[in-house]
Amino acid sequence: MVRARDKKRGLLIAFEGPTGAGTSTQRRLFKVWLEQQGHEVVTSKWISSRAIRPLMKARARLHALSPEELCLLQAADFRHRLETQILPALWQGKTVVADRFLFTSLARASARGLDLDWLLFAHAPLFWPDLVFYFSVSPTTSTTRVAAAHAPRFYDAGQDVTNIADPVASYRRFVGRMIKEYESLALIFQFVTIDGEQPIYEQHRRMRRLFDEKRRQPWGQWNMEAVVEWLAWSPAAAEVRRGASIPR
Amino acid sequence: MARRSPGKGRLIAVEGTRGHDVRDGASAWWQRLEGRKVRGGVSTWDASGIFSDLRVEKRKHLSLSPRTLLLLYAADLVFRLRWQIRPGLDQGQVIIAAPYVDTAVAFGVAGGLSRSWLTRLFAFAPPPDACYRIKERGRASRSKGKTLDGFVEFCIAILADEATPAGASQLRKDMVAYFEGLEAKSKCPRLTRRVISSPPV
Repeated sequence: MVRARDKKRGLLIAFEGPTGAGTSTQRRLFKVWLEQQGHEVVTSKWISSRAIRPLMKARARLHALSPEELCLLQAADFRHRLETQILPALWQGKTVVADRFLFTSLARASARGLDLDWLLFAHAPLFWPDLVFYFSVSPTTSTTRVAAAHAPRFYDAGQDVTNIADPVASYRRFVGRMIKEYESLALIFQFVTIDGEQPIYEQHRRMRRLFDEKRRQPWGQWNMEAVVEWLAWSPAAAEVRRGASIPR
Repeated sequence: MARRSPGKGRLIAVEGTRGHDVRDGASAWWQRLEGRKVRGGVSTWDASGIFSDLRVEKRKHLSLSPRTLLLLYAADLVFRLRWQIRPGLDQGQVIIAAPYVDTAVAFGVAGGLSRSWLTRLFAFAPPPDACYRIKERGRASRSKGKTLDGFVEFCIAILADEATPAGASQLRKDMVAYFEGLEAKSKCPRLTRRVISSPPV
């Protein structure tokens, strides 16, 4: 059943990058373009799960989270979004645009000194997007753009690990580590790197071209595992289960 | 597994499928230890308040899978280790963790998750010096318990609310089978009155 659905499923496109890299701007432009091309598009934003987000917000406000707790709550947010927003939409043939998906959690947690191997386990089974756009900017550009908008929040600035009182100074140091982690992930997982310092429309045109050139591929083994588990256990898949009489 | 705390304390895990019984068993044991002037305490489920906060939301619409629930349990356990368990062990105290890792692993295995994933997820938790199980009294299906009695009750309520009652009931039975497997290997023996009255600490 999963194999049969794979041919009709929607596509998942992830936008990754540090704060100030322009992911949200490009995601919005790309979504409009996809809709013009006839795609039914669903957006999923990082740490937006209805169940987990309130927990994280309350604890982040108190600066009460250790790097491990932060990572595990982010992994729970990822899993919950995957099961309640992303997989149901893909199953129905919709295109999902994820404004930061899995790799932002990995990059930030690695920058906090956590072991990448453990992080991958905590987020397993991983779910592979059809396309990952990584917006690359220098630490200086990211810091300048962030500082121009607002002072970064405690955990965004990495103040829990830098112990620097000034959020902008802390962000400047933390984003350097974060970008290194993003670049390692981009190499390992073969992201499509977009130069986030190019003019906005140039970036957008390149993304359109890359998307058009992208050949549709069947779900890999990890994705199949995640879908099978979702179908078997997730309350969000109850409708599909009932329709297809899937045994537990 | 994570390395043991450098302190000289002892960590005792009390596990089981019924939160109320686990809490009562740990409490009875602790009272006995306290009577012998042993320093320490009991670390219980949801010390971080994550699950209580989730309950405030409309539970029926949470749609949490076993894997998501375990990630939240792990986050709560990190909190307990940071604020309750490790500081006590570092000071040479006896800490009873009720429940600890095996209850979560039993729930995960019953929920169809791989043991290797569960083992790696909880690798941050130091192994306990001793592990005991509170055995279920009567038939498992008779006592549903309250949502916040314990982790298993909470999870079963969430899963049962989402039109999977048969799966939730089977889940508890599978957990019991997992604990019986551990007991057969003498890895997590039953917590008896004899153990409580003459604790090995």
